[in-house]
Amino acid sequence: MSKNTYFKHEGPWSDANDPLMCSDTGDWRTKRPIVDKDKCIFCGFCQIYCPVQVMEMVGDSHFEADLGFCKGCGICAQECPKQAITMVSEGEFVS
Amino acid sequence: MSEKKKGKLSPVIDYKKHEDPFSKGVAFCPGCGLELLIRFIPQVMGNDIVMTGTPSCSAPVLLGQNNQSWHSLSYFGTLMTGAAANATGLVRYYNRAGIDNTVVCFNGDGTAADIGFGNMSGAAERNEPFIYICYDNEGYMNTGIQKSGTTPYGASTTTTPVAKGSRGKNLRRMNLALKMAMSKIPYAATATLSDLGDLAKKLLKAKEMKKNGFCFLHVFAPCPTGWGYDPAMTVEVCRRAVKTNYFPLWEAENGKIRMTKTVNKPKPVEHYMEPIKKFKHLDDNDRAILQEDVDYELCMLGGLSILEKECVLPEAAD
Ligand code: SF4
Ligand code: SF4
Repeated sequence: MSKNTYFKHEGPWSDANDPLMCSDTGDWRTKRPIVDKDKCIFCGFCQIYCPVQVMEMVGDSHFEADLGFCKGCGICAQECPKQAITMVSEGEFVS
Repeated sequence: MSEKKKGKLSPVIDYKKHEDPFSKGVAFCPGCGLELLIRFIPQVMGNDIVMTGTPSCSAPVLLGQNNQSWHSLSYFGTLMTGAAANATGLVRYYNRAGIDNTVVCFNGDGTAADIGFGNMSGAAERNEPFIYICYDNEGYMNTGIQKSGTTPYGASTTTTPVAKGSRGKNLRRMNLALKMAMSKIPYAATATLSDLGDLAKKLLKAKEMKKNGFCFLHVFAPCPTGWGYDPAMTVEVCRRAVKTNYFPLWEAENGKIRMTKTVNKPKPVEHYMEPIKKFKHLDDNDRAILQEDVDYELCMLGGLSILEKECVLPEAAD
């Protein structure tokens, strides 16, 4: 990682050498993006438009969301030119 | 049509040459335009930029909480009244110390258009060599969705509500980017999140042009929470803003305006307003006022972009 070279400390009370804070934003989700591998043409639109930047390349075949942090906004499904992504209610995955 | 399994990977991915310095789970609302923008900037411009900004939606994440941080960028938190003045101090210090860097003053429209406008205008006049990026969500979202100078005509906010004696904002929005371009700074541009390639080009150009002085980028970044639309529509709202010329994309070098995207057969502004709740109460008359405003601003831009070629100066006296 390219470390900043200007300040040792990011601010008077925030130390960038510590591990970064991270919330389980995946918990917020009410709908989950499910990618249809066959429909996906690997254009990457879902990746560039995902605000959280959690759409990850799986090899060079398709994209999948990191569900630990995906907030379930649905932008990826809206922007996919092939309608390869469906937003499925989280209720479906409760066992 | 032959169904090819693999299309071409979006060229925008090539612009993202650097790592995302933010931690994965940060506290922005789902579908936040600001989050898309703030993660995009260092991926394109590099992680070694120094950011400064003010209390706003961006501050809780950029500043950090207690003694920890959400990202590994250098960030200097300051006040809305003096954002550009602080950036001036930073950039002058680096110049004196002989450190070559990029200072990015990153603020919302509340700071840029209203509270911190004076010192931004001053920094533009003095031509301070840093980049000012205004993310425009058309109001003070972080403090509870109050109207700002860039809130458009008719929009409902908590200070311009739809209630007895009030039908949304009864004033027109200001065109901040045009104001800054008219300061004849080396580079001013508008951009939005539906056209990320265009945004990346403008970010890189600003990084290059800042050696000549002040650069200003006005980025339209919608807010699902404050405007009342489905979070999935953030990018689509940006796209519609461009397609209806509600938010035209252009750039200006030393005040010379050039459209970076011309829209053939623009849709009426209703098309942009349709998914957004803050415009729901507007009637045909109000929509016509907004349309007139949009047309007027586009004419102004169009006129300014041909100014030099067409303008005939009066003959000089002997
Ligand atoms: S936008 Fe759709 S088609 Fe393109 S990579 Fe993502 S899932 Fe695949
Ligand atoms: S639902 Fe939203 S946060 Fe989740 S992967 Fe899609 S765009 Fe990203």
